Amino acid sequence: MHPEPPLPDGASADPAAMAVIAHPRRGETSPAIEITRLSKRFGDVRAVDDVTLRVPAGQIYALLGLNGAGKTTLIRMLLGMITSTAGTVRVLGADVTGGDRSAWARVGYLVETAAAYPELTVRENLEVVRRLRRLPGDVGDIIDRLALAPYAERRARTLSLGNLQRLALARALLHAPDLLILDEPVNGLDPAGVAEIRALLAGLIHRHGTTVLLSSHLLAEVDRLATRIGILHHGRLVGEHDADQFDRHRRRHLRLATRDDHAARTVLIAHGYHPQSATPAGLLLTDPRALAAPEQVATVLVHGGVPPTDLHLHEEDLEAFFLRTVGPSEQVTLTAGPGTQPAEGTGDA
Amino acid sequence: MREALWAELLKVRRSRLPWITALAFTVAALVCGMFMFILADPARARALGLLGGKAQLSGASADWPGYLALLAQAVAVGGLGVYGLIAIWLFGREFSDHTATDLLALPTSRTAVVAAKFTVAALWALALAVLLAGLGLLIGALLGLPAWSTPAVLNGLARILGAAALAALTTTPLALAASAGRGYLAAVGVLFGVIFVSQIIAALGYGSVFPWSIPGLYAGIAGAGQDPPGPLGLLLVVITGAAGAVSTAVWWNRADHTR
Repeated sequence: MHPEPPLPDGASADPAAMAVIAHPRRGETSPAIEITRLSKRFGDVRAVDDVTLRVPAGQIYALLGLNGAGKTTLIRMLLGMITSTAGTVRVLGADVTGGDRSAWARVGYLVETAAAYPELTVRENLEVVRRLRRLPGDVGDIIDRLALAPYAERRARTLSLGNLQRLALARALLHAPDLLILDEPVNGLDPAGVAEIRALLAGLIHRHGTTVLLSSHLLAEVDRLATRIGILHHGRLVGEHDADQFDRHRRRHLRLATRDDHAARTVLIAHGYHPQSATPAGLLLTDPRALAAPEQVATVLVHGGVPPTDLHLHEEDLEAFFLRTVGPSEQVTLTAGPGTQPAEGTGDA
Repeated sequence: MREALWAELLKVRRSRLPWITALAFTVAALVCGMFMFILADPARARALGLLGGKAQLSGASADWPGYLALLAQAVAVGGLGVYGLIAIWLFGREFSDHTATDLLALPTSRTAVVAAKFTVAALWALALAVLLAGLGLLIGALLGLPAWSTPAVLNGLARILGAAALAALTTTPLALAASAGRGYLAAVGVLFGVIFVSQIIAALGYGSVFPWSIPGLYAGIAGAGQDPPGPLGLLLVVITGAAGAVSTAVWWNRADHTR
C-alpha cells in the first residue's frame, strides 16, 4: 500500500471536513445544476428515467450506480452531448436542453476515458485546450499544480494511465472552473493514484469552492469525498442522502460472542433486550439502547455469568447501504473501491 | 474559428500523415515522369527494361501538355483516395483516440471545430496539388519535354489545380462517414466503395452525373473523344462537397455523442 500523499494547502479529504469547507461562490444564488424530470430513451431502453435533482453551488455531489445504471448518459446530457427525450437541464443558469452553450466557459469535465492526442506532448495537449477555451497566459501553472512538469515535453502516448488521468484532470481544471463534472475520475488508477486525485480534488474545492458532480462505482471514494450522494439504478434516482446525515440511514448492530450463546440469550431477554442469532455463531442486538451503550450489555452479561468473548459495534458502510438500496440481486456486478473490504450481508441487522 | 484552426494545424504538424501524403504525390509525379520518359523513346525504354515487349502505349504524348494532363488525371483519381484519407483522418482520429468528447462542451463551438478541420483539409489538398504541379515542372524540365508554351503550361497547371479542387470537394461526405462511424474503419470502407462504384459508373457512361467520377472526366481520363463534364456535373460536385460539409457540422451539433 502506498502512503497517502499530503493534501495541498492543508486541505482535508475527510468528508465531515469537506462538508464544512465546501461553500457556495459569492453571489451564486441558483443551483449549479438543475435537472428536472430528465429522461433518455435509446429505442426501448430507458437509459435515464424521470430524474430530478439539484446540486447547489459548493456541493460535492456523487452519483452512485452500477455499470449501466445511466450515470454516463446523465452526465453527457448535462454537458449537452446527448439530447434528452424529455425534461430539462440547467447548468450554471444556462438552459442546456435549449441549446445554451454559455456555461461551458465555466465548466470543466472529464467523461469516462482519460484521452489525449498521442502524438502531442503533455504541454501541447494542454495548449490545445487553452486555445480552444480562449484563455490568456500559458499552461505552466497547471502543469506544476498537477505535478506534470517531469512529463511536460513527453508525448502523451508514452504516459502511464495515472499520468494520462492527471493530464485529463489538468485539462478539466485549466480554467479554474466553477463547476467540475467528473465521470469515474479514478477509474483504472492504482491506490496511490486514487489517493492523489482525491487530495487534488479536496485541495481544489478547499481553495475555490468549486461545485463538483462526480460519478463513480468505487464506493470507498464516494464515501470519502461526497457531501451528498445520489443513487442511480436502472436510470432512476432511487435515493439521495447528505453525507453528514448518512449515519441516520446506516444500519447498525451490536455483534457479540460468548461461550454459551443460549445462556447469554436468556440473560439478555431477562434484561429487556431482543437478541437474534448471528451466522455462524454469536448474537446480534439492534435495540437502540444496546447500540447507544454497548458497555451496559457487557456488564449485564458479566453479571449473568456469561461474559462476552467478543463484542463490537458494526456500522453499515456505503457499499452495504448501496446494495440494500438497489437490491441484493445486483451484488455480483458491484465493484468495491481500492482498499475496501467486501460488504457484510445485508440481512444481518 | 482561429483557435480551432491553430489546434488542427498543430495536430497535423505533429502527425506523420502529411509526409506520407506528400510522398504519395511525389511518387505519382515520378511515375508520370517515367511514363513520359518511356513514351519519348519506347525503343530506349525497352532496351533499359522499363517496357515489356508487348506493351501498348497510347492516349498520351511525351510533351508538356501530355505530361501535365497525365498529372491532372493522377490527382483526379489518386486525389480521391489521398484526400479521402486526409478527411477520414482529420475527423475519425477524434473518435479512435477518444478525444472527440473533449471538443464538445467548450467555448469554441462544434461548428468552428468542424469548419477548422475542413479548412485544414482544403489547405492540405491545395499544398499537395501545388507540390505535384511543382514537381511536374521540375521533372518535365529535367526530361527536356518538347512543346513548351506558356499558355499551354498554364492551362495544364490550372487543370491540375481544378482536378484537385473537384477531388477534394467529393471527399467531404467521408468526414461524415468517419464521424457517424466514430472512427476510421467505416469511412475507409465507404472510400473503397466510392472508388469502386465511380469506376463502374464511369465505364457505363454515366460518369458525368456521378460526382465521384467527375474529377477524372474533368482531367480527361476518358480520352480525347470524351466530352468534359458540363456545368451540371461541376455543380453536382459543388453540391456534394457542400452537403458533406454541412451534414458533418449538423451531425457534430445534433447527434447523440454516446462515445
